[in-house]
Amino acid sequence: MNNTATNSAKIMAFCCDWSVQPGLRLSDFQEEEEKAIVTMCSGRVGPELIVQAFEYDAWGVLICACPLGECEHDANYKTLRRVFLLKRMLSQFNIEPERVRVEWVDTGEVGKLQNAWNVFYEEMKKLGPIK
Amino acid sequence: MAKPKVAFYWNASCGGCEEAVVDLAEDILGVVDAVDIVFWPVALDFKKKDVEKLKDNELVASFINGAIRTEEQKEMVELLRRKSELVVAFGSCAHLGGIPGLANFSNRNEIFERVYKTSESTSNTEGVFPQVKTQISEGELTLPLFFDTVKTLDQTVDVDYYVPGCAPPPDIIMDAVNAILKGDLPGKGSVLAPKKALCDECERNESKPEKLEISEFNRVHQIEVDPEKCFLTQGIICMGISTRAGCGQRCINANMPCRGCFGPLDGVKDFGLRSMSAIASIFALTNEENLSEDELEKLMDKLVDPAGLFYMYSLPSSILRRKRMEK
Repeated sequence: MNNTATNSAKIMAFCCDWSVQPGLRLSDFQEEEEKAIVTMCSGRVGPELIVQAFEYDAWGVLICACPLGECEHDANYKTLRRVFLLKRMLSQFNIEPERVRVEWVDTGEVGKLQNAWNVFYEEMKKLGPIK
Repeated sequence: MAKPKVAFYWNASCGGCEEAVVDLAEDILGVVDAVDIVFWPVALDFKKKDVEKLKDNELVASFINGAIRTEEQKEMVELLRRKSELVVAFGSCAHLGGIPGLANFSNRNEIFERVYKTSESTSNTEGVFPQVKTQISEGELTLPLFFDTVKTLDQTVDVDYYVPGCAPPPDIIMDAVNAILKGDLPGKGSVLAPKKALCDECERNESKPEKLEISEFNRVHQIEVDPEKCFLTQGIICMGISTRAGCGQRCINANMPCRGCFGPLDGVKDFGLRSMSAIASIFALTNEENLSEDELEKLMDKLVDPAGLFYMYSLPSSILRRKRMEK
């Protein structure tokens, strides 16, 4: 995708193994290159993990989770609440809360995933790295 | 045989850690019997030059409290590090940054502006601010440089052990002193306190339901707090859920929730984020499927200043360490 060698935004995604990973496998999404990390559930993506991505110079973090109500563990509600609070905390650190986004992606919605990635990528490119 | 030598020193702190040593009461006599205190600015008249005269590693241990916020503090802890076999970060400020660490939501300029100019009780029409060097007719006056960012002790010098707490309670201090004197110490970098969470020890734990939930956020001044019931079930954020035990539940017994002065359990990188994660997990649990994202966000408005709350004692030790300031 839009990852040209120069002027490229550093974004990474945490993708749920159950809903997102199958679509990811079927797509031409290159995991290594695109920095998409498959986690067993979006509920495993704790705020520490997200902020650690920023510590490693990520410009933005995208969390792709099962749509609400469809998570086997009901953990995507937890993810949502954590991200809400994390965004508020990030604002207090003068870091744009838009740098963290949750996208609900169902099994096989490769197009949605790709689109979410592209939109997020463009937005992060505009924001630039965290100062 | 000469007694082992120890030092106590303070940096950016309130003096409560010094008070904690005095709170050892008669136990302090046992400590003084066993060691020679060769440096303790708050109580003994030894100077920096006395420390400089010591051989490297001559001190068995230096107990250092307070966060690091000035050049002088940095210089002193570097000196004590050289002269000590063991450096013990004593109390929350040295361990995690503590309350002075909340200054990392600001910087030197903002703090000076507030303290020396805009505070209601200050009249400073000439705009005089502290300077590192000032020339007067008698010569040059100097003040230590005030850093932009408050640091923990281990972000400044190598630290061997941590004694947590604001302030550390007497039993934790005595256990640490005895462990050092007997040489019965865990691995380097250990926190000399229990490895359980505060909830594990809390007497209110029995009132906790099977499924713990916060249905709305309350603050202690807004409701009448039941002194028997778990704070979380009353909607009051209590960080006992993610905080190391060992404090003797001083706050809980005073009917105040835990704010995390004992810091994280082993293996946790960021205390504030881990605590926030735990609280977010049990918020609006039974109702989660009926709430829209907007409604949920509105419910969260009742939690004011989340970063200040979750990082009350640990901002400098967090992954982000400080607020990003406008250039």
